[in-house]
Amino acid sequence: MLKRLFATLCLVLSLGMAPGAGAQDASIQPLLQANAALITESSRRTIQPAIDAIAGSGLPQAPLVLSTWAERDMWQRLSDGQFFRAQKVKGGQYALIDFDTGAEVATVDKDAIEQLKPNSGIRALIGAALVRFQLSDPDPAIRVAALDAIDRAAEAGHLAPLKAAIPDEPDPAIRARKERLLTLLTIRFGTESAMRVAAIDSLAGDTGVDARAALNPLVATSRHAGTVVPQTVNVAATLKPGSDALPRATAYDMLVAAGLAPPRLTAEAARTTLSAHVEDGAVGGVPLHQLADPAARDRAYAALVQAGQAPPAATEAEVDQALSTHVFWDQYAEADPAVTDAARAALTRTTLMVGLNQALDLALDALSLGSIYFLAAIGLAITFGVMGVINMAHGEFIMMGAYTGYVVQQLIPNYTVSILVAIPLAFLVTFAAGVAMERLVIRHLYSRPLETLLATFGISIALQQIAKNIFGTQARPLTSPAWLDGSWVLNDIVGISYIRIAIFALALIFLVFFLFLMKHTRLGLETRAVTQNPKMAASMGINPDRVNMLTFGLGSGIAGIAGVAIGLYAQVTSEIGQQYIVQSFMTVVVGGVGNIWGALLGAGMIGVLQKGIEWFNPSNTLAAQTYMIIFIIIFIQFRPRGIIALKGRAAGD
Amino acid sequence: MSRSFLARNPSILVFLACLALFTLAVTMLAPATGSGLISTSFVKTLGKTLCLCLVALAMDLVWGYCGILSLGHFAFFGLGGYMIGMWLMYARTELIVVESLSNAVIPPTPQEIRDAIGSQIFGVVGASDFPAIWIFAHSLTAQLVLVLLIPGLLALVFGWLAFRSRVTGVYLSILTQAMTLALSLYLFQNESGLRGNNGLSGLQNLPGISASQDLVSVWFLWGAALALALGYVLCAWVVSGKFGSVVRGIRDDEARVRFLGYSVEGYKLFIFTFTAVIAAVAGALYYPQAGIINPGEIAPIASIYLAVWVAIGGRGRLYGAVIGAAVVSLVSTWFTGGLVSSIPLGVYTVNWVDWWQVLLGLSFVLVTLFAPKGIGGLFDLIARRRGQ
Repeated sequence: MLKRLFATLCLVLSLGMAPGAGAQDASIQPLLQANAALITESSRRTIQPAIDAIAGSGLPQAPLVLSTWAERDMWQRLSDGQFFRAQKVKGGQYALIDFDTGAEVATVDKDAIEQLKPNSGIRALIGAALVRFQLSDPDPAIRVAALDAIDRAAEAGHLAPLKAAIPDEPDPAIRARKERLLTLLTIRFGTESAMRVAAIDSLAGDTGVDARAALNPLVATSRHAGTVVPQTVNVAATLKPGSDALPRATAYDMLVAAGLAPPRLTAEAARTTLSAHVEDGAVGGVPLHQLADPAARDRAYAALVQAGQAPPAATEAEVDQALSTHVFWDQYAEADPAVTDAARAALTRTTLMVGLNQALDLALDALSLGSIYFLAAIGLAITFGVMGVINMAHGEFIMMGAYTGYVVQQLIPNYTVSILVAIPLAFLVTFAAGVAMERLVIRHLYSRPLETLLATFGISIALQQIAKNIFGTQARPLTSPAWLDGSWVLNDIVGISYIRIAIFALALIFLVFFLFLMKHTRLGLETRAVTQNPKMAASMGINPDRVNMLTFGLGSGIAGIAGVAIGLYAQVTSEIGQQYIVQSFMTVVVGGVGNIWGALLGAGMIGVLQKGIEWFNPSNTLAAQTYMIIFIIIFIQFRPRGIIALKGRAAGD
Repeated sequence: MSRSFLARNPSILVFLACLALFTLAVTMLAPATGSGLISTSFVKTLGKTLCLCLVALAMDLVWGYCGILSLGHFAFFGLGGYMIGMWLMYARTELIVVESLSNAVIPPTPQEIRDAIGSQIFGVVGASDFPAIWIFAHSLTAQLVLVLLIPGLLALVFGWLAFRSRVTGVYLSILTQAMTLALSLYLFQNESGLRGNNGLSGLQNLPGISASQDLVSVWFLWGAALALALGYVLCAWVVSGKFGSVVRGIRDDEARVRFLGYSVEGYKLFIFTFTAVIAAVAGALYYPQAGIINPGEIAPIASIYLAVWVAIGGRGRLYGAVIGAAVVSLVSTWFTGGLVSSIPLGVYTVNWVDWWQVLLGLSFVLVTLFAPKGIGGLFDLIARRRGQ
């Protein structure tokens, strides 16, 4: 260390005595020598001037020097203190390369040179300085990396190089990004008010997170109190104590905190003072047992003040006086009123745009939620809506589908293949379960619909418990394939995950499939005939038993597929069906029984309602569900048969 | 009138006698008042079972007699519990707070006491102020009135809305289920003012009464038995006579009764509200024995179980509901309590704690399919055999 210091000292001296050392035109070496002491000291606290000198020199070698330095390839020759880029040749030999010419100057022994070892702090500083050179680098990847670096840690020094780097930018995308960054930096670091205002105006209505992050600090205010409003500050608003924005108590507390007024007596402080001055079972002449009364406490405290045993507290009149003689104001941290006005105007437009985009995002969310409800309810729309059977075990069919998906994933490790296998398999499993249930139980109860409810409830709790016994109580994950990860992002506000899009697509497919089945196939025709009038259908040669069995199996099978889809975005537990059963029934009832369009409308309405209510109070989804159900109960008052009510004989009653 | 009413319904006397015998027998066996052959917790279980019988009675009246399959009567049961729980919790916390503040040098002001109670009760949900709904919590009388009033009012408003627009059958069932789901979701929030999912706790400690739980459990057993007896007689009285005939008529053919000129909605509304109040009374007696009430208690599934008890016991006969509730809930306790030994099957051991629900579920199915009259149907068989 001492040796190095000494060497440095010698260098500085020799530099002074040998002015011809950097005689070559536009050489960077003299600059390095002038800052040699700082460079070799290599301390994060003192290095900045040296870096600035190199970066600001305007010499073409500057970026090379900085990057060489940061990569620890810069060495100092001990004999004359010159800096070189050094490359290991062989053995202990190093080739010294001149920064100015790029030519190899000499090959020396390792003992003759010393490596500069900037620590990570210094390397970060060098990196920041390098950014301005990288902005014009021929390699687009480096330019983008430089922009990323500015994005992460912008500073005032970036403004000029960024501006200079724009005209020569060939890539339109990078150019656009540079221009945007320039706008943001101008707002933050610009020195001329007019330029900043112009930059702010150009961002009006922009919904990007970066734009809002640049504008919001400009309109941030802090609240102050004093006797007069200072002339120098940029005042946002003056406040009147006792208004909604500034309650009297808060205003007075501000004065107390600023040392402008004496504190008021709190109940707690009064009690502490009183209990500290108990004499002969009384305080200030008031017996202790009377002190449960607030009025008696005031008397006792007043007596203590009179005796000089307690500090006087501010009275109401004094509070009034203090509040009327002081002013309260909000001031901007930004001193320039033109800038804050422009920012406020820009943010007003931005807020509007953000609101519109949020509405769009909300609509997407609602659509997605609606499609999940639709998927959960479509099977029910068949069994309950068309056949009139209340299947409380419908939720458990969803659960069976989800667990089928889980088991398939355990057997087939490839997620894409396993999903493709799981969907038909889930259909088969739940179709079989549905057919078995219809044959064994429901067939006997067609004339007693309320009792199907009880019987299927029994099946429901039995299935739930069996699932719990097999798979345990912990949630089982159903992993989606990699191509369903991530989300489709429109801008910083509007975005939706691919899984939800897939569920939406699945819901659409089922809608089309169901419509086709009911309107254009033999089974659909027979189903409609049997549900309208089983005896008449039977006399026309339709076998009602078979049709009922198939229809019920179909409804259950669709529930199984819905289970796979729902399992992809929610955890699979034995209670997964319970979460959807009541909503599914409501979907069918709200939409109108016996009509697929009704189920679609019902699901859409419930999705929109729930998301809409959540929008008003986003922190509380429980309340949103509560209000939604209450709304549905009221809705049923006005359309007891749902949105789409069947008319005539098909309505049943 | 009363005499002839009882004379026409000898089964009431039989039921009351059985109930009295049962209560006396338990009292004789309880630790505090008798030989101590059964534990206090079992006395509590029996007391709670009597409350469940009472709410099943209400369910039978509304479903078995009036044909309204309500899947929301446990909401009224829970609300009754909440109403009495508010007083129990407030009064007991007040005692504790006054006790702890009495050590201070200066006696506390009423406001200080109230603040301390508030932070004691609501600290768990991060609040300390009393919500507006606790305004009567200091008064036992007021809360007892609210036990009847709040669930009754809810039933009245909900029933009026539902019956007025002629929502019937399964639609009504789903609507009542939605109602209880909405209520339980609402109570799950911390902002509901009833301590969110923590619910109200410590309800087994009666404020100002130093008697041991051994004795209190017997008091509540008697209270529940009395309420059940009273409820039974009241329900039996309601369903006998002309009023009962109209109610049964509505069950069998609503349209025909309406065409005969009766106000079907009025009858239904009365039965719905009346049974809601009975359910609330049952809940108010149940939760001080259970000690804790939380929103999970009024989840839709509880109300479905209620319907299942009545179905298993036998609909349309009051004693059937009582038998169903008592049998299913006691057998449930027995199985889930781990008292039944497991059955080893070689490769697999049937553990009843795990498999009881499956058995229960399948037995619902079997009862619905093969014994629609439930356990009560057995009495018909006996009566028929005797007649032959």
